[in-house]
Amino acid sequence: MRTKERGLSGGAAAGGATATAWLMGLAAWAFPGAGHLLQGRLVRALLLGGAVWAMFIAGLLLGGHLFDLSGQEDGNALLRVPPMIANLGSGVLYFYCWATGTGFAEGAEQAARATFEYGNTFLLVAGLLNYLAMLDAFDIAAGRKS
Amino acid sequence: MMISFAALVAVVFGIVGRDTARERALYGLKIFAEFVGIGLALAWLLYFLPL
Repeated sequence: MRTKERGLSGGAAAGGATATAWLMGLAAWAFPGAGHLLQGRLVRALLLGGAVWAMFIAGLLLGGHLFDLSGQEDGNALLRVPPMIANLGSGVLYFYCWATGTGFAEGAEQAARATFEYGNTFLLVAGLLNYLAMLDAFDIAAGRKS
Repeated sequence: MMISFAALVAVVFGIVGRDTARERALYGLKIFAEFVGIGLALAWLLYFLPL
């Protein structure tokens, strides 16, 4: 009986922690750095969020291109899904650019820029790094990491 | 550009990949050195290859 009570109590606690962890993960994805900031980890939030923000902004300044499903290029739309998933990792940054039409142009003029591919890489990696930061925030909230 | 890319990636990898501050700093430096070193090595290799 005692074991059962402990189990139930532990399960409820774990359920609460999991809900918080999911919220922290969501916050970390939506706004780079927010997941750690909400947990009081200011330095980690500044470093992780700062790295993602810096990489995303650098990617845009280098003339990089953000991917969505409605590209103008010929070819299979499925090929655009993996880079779009990587770009989506930037959370609100991606949606802000999508809403304002920033970074989605893919004309020949933009592609001719010497830094076009560098910009693409910066934008893709910014999203992927934010996925890592999101998992880190989730693990901290779930008690798996300190 | 490569240096800034390596530095930003190393910061994130260092923080999420290790647990203590010292381990994070060392791991971040290692990742940074590997990115820069391998990048330079590949650049020289491709320079000599007639592609």
